Amino acid sequence: MPDATVGQKSKRKTEVSCGRITAGVVQYAALIIGAFVMLAPVLWMISTSLTADSVIVSYKLIPTRVTLENYVRAWTFPSNFDESVTLGTFFLNSVLVSALITGPALIIDSLAGYVLARRKVPGSNLLFYMALATMMIPFYVIAVPLFLTVRKLRWLDTYQGMVVPFLASGFGIFMFKQFFQTVPQDLEDAALVDGCSAWRTYWSIMLPLAKPVVGTMAIFKVMWSWNQFFWPLLIINNIRLKTLPLALTMFRGLNVTQWGTLCAGMTVATIPVVVVYLSMQDMFQKGITMGAVKG
Amino acid sequence: MKQRPAWRRMGKTLESYTMLAPAYMIFLVFIFIPVAWAFYLSLFDYSIMSLRAPRFAGMNNFRRLVSDRLFWISLKNTARYALGTVPWRMILGLMLALVLDQTKLVGRKLLRTVYFLPVVTSMVAAAIVWSLVFSASNSGLANQLLAVFGMAPRGWLADSRLAMFSVCVLSVWKDLGYVMTIFTAGLQGVPLELYEAGAIDGASTWQRIRFITIPLLRPTTFFILVTEILGSFQVFTQTYVMTQGGPGYVTTTLINLLHTKGFVQYDMGYASALAVAMFIGLLIMSWVLRKVFRAEEIVY
Repeated sequence: MPDATVGQKSKRKTEVSCGRITAGVVQYAALIIGAFVMLAPVLWMISTSLTADSVIVSYKLIPTRVTLENYVRAWTFPSNFDESVTLGTFFLNSVLVSALITGPALIIDSLAGYVLARRKVPGSNLLFYMALATMMIPFYVIAVPLFLTVRKLRWLDTYQGMVVPFLASGFGIFMFKQFFQTVPQDLEDAALVDGCSAWRTYWSIMLPLAKPVVGTMAIFKVMWSWNQFFWPLLIINNIRLKTLPLALTMFRGLNVTQWGTLCAGMTVATIPVVVVYLSMQDMFQKGITMGAVKG
Repeated sequence: MKQRPAWRRMGKTLESYTMLAPAYMIFLVFIFIPVAWAFYLSLFDYSIMSLRAPRFAGMNNFRRLVSDRLFWISLKNTARYALGTVPWRMILGLMLALVLDQTKLVGRKLLRTVYFLPVVTSMVAAAIVWSLVFSASNSGLANQLLAVFGMAPRGWLADSRLAMFSVCVLSVWKDLGYVMTIFTAGLQGVPLELYEAGAIDGASTWQRIRFITIPLLRPTTFFILVTEILGSFQVFTQTYVMTQGGPGYVTTTLINLLHTKGFVQYDMGYASALAVAMFIGLLIMSWVLRKVFRAEEIVY
């Protein structure tokens, strides 16, 4: 086959470069249209949130008359259900639950990961496989018995009910173990010679070394707990304890007439996460997709 | 080296176990016992709303499941959802990853940011906004778009033929960036020399993708395929928020059914039977997928 094409080489070259330009233009056009489709609902949401509900117009991608009154209404909308509650309450709840899960979980996972990676304990292989096994169990399988457990503990409608079951994860243990295995043994030996206990070694030598893993794991956990919906839906009834995703479903009732208020609520709920994402997107993409790398 | 005294070694082991204890206590109480309990409960007739003690029912819950029309409807709906999302996410995600992997492309970082953006938004907020997009009124974005092309407005979520389609559109939009990013990570593992070799041999871009990239991406593709299929069988939030399983039962998925049975009707033995059946079904499915993927080895 190569022999046949040699004669046409120069002719093909111009064809190729022409084809390349067309392909490039098509590619860009497709990419930009795609990007527009991805952004359109978000832009439309923001634009609708800035359009007064009283104006009977169809909601455009760019608002004609900008108003901020929807935001005021969205902020106080939850007070219709309970006077002491605003959108801010749910924000605080979400922040609290995410922080209470992420902080302790990072410590618990890294502790276990450290022991499994560096210390010879009887049964450590079995324990590691148990940690991996937890990753293969979908949440819906344990939803009913977990609900019954939490109910027995009298943790329905509490923060601990939302937090404690998720303070350890097989995935976290796995990631920390993988990392600690790559740390040179000498570093640890030096500490042991100095008479450091295992706790001291973990806390003042190993954990600081694991900063990159801690960072990506933290983002992974925060995102996961911030967006959690199914479990809080099952155990939280008290409006004052609702997290943001749970509380947002209350806005559904507005979708007949008050689209502006509804969209303002969604915008307020979405923008902070988006801003955080934009400010550290590389870490975000790594954090959210890290589970796949070792898959 | 001097042998350390036995009590010191034991002390060290004990110390290690105390460091493992928090994680494994949580696993035990909140994962391992519940899993066993789920299997156990599936054999019982049990409701927290009734005063009666759990009554052993044998395989009765599973028999009820098989004869429950709603179970088969939700299974079919869930399969439709999987077919309506997984192929699109994978094809579009791979295409995006390939196109955005070209280092010469201007603005690739910005484009990646945009495509990934929906992943970080909350599913509940996204589903609520998309239910306005798919509103049956003329103000909805989808109907505005139809109007541009001179087409009549549709009911979308209220239309039993379009409701599942609308849910699928939201779901593809939401997770496309995630699949793209995993494919991008997979592409980093394809050695550049192979492309250069391909280019020297006169392979066109398409041929290089077809015969070098795609075969080498196989482990990534397999991983995404399995996680996407398993994930799509657990769809809940979208259908719960956008359609509440309706109209009729056209968007009722397996987890919607589990939620209704277990936590609205408190028929917990039955809900556990459903969970156990799904678990076993999905385990078998991922085993079969693994076999199929292993069977077609790459041949050069």
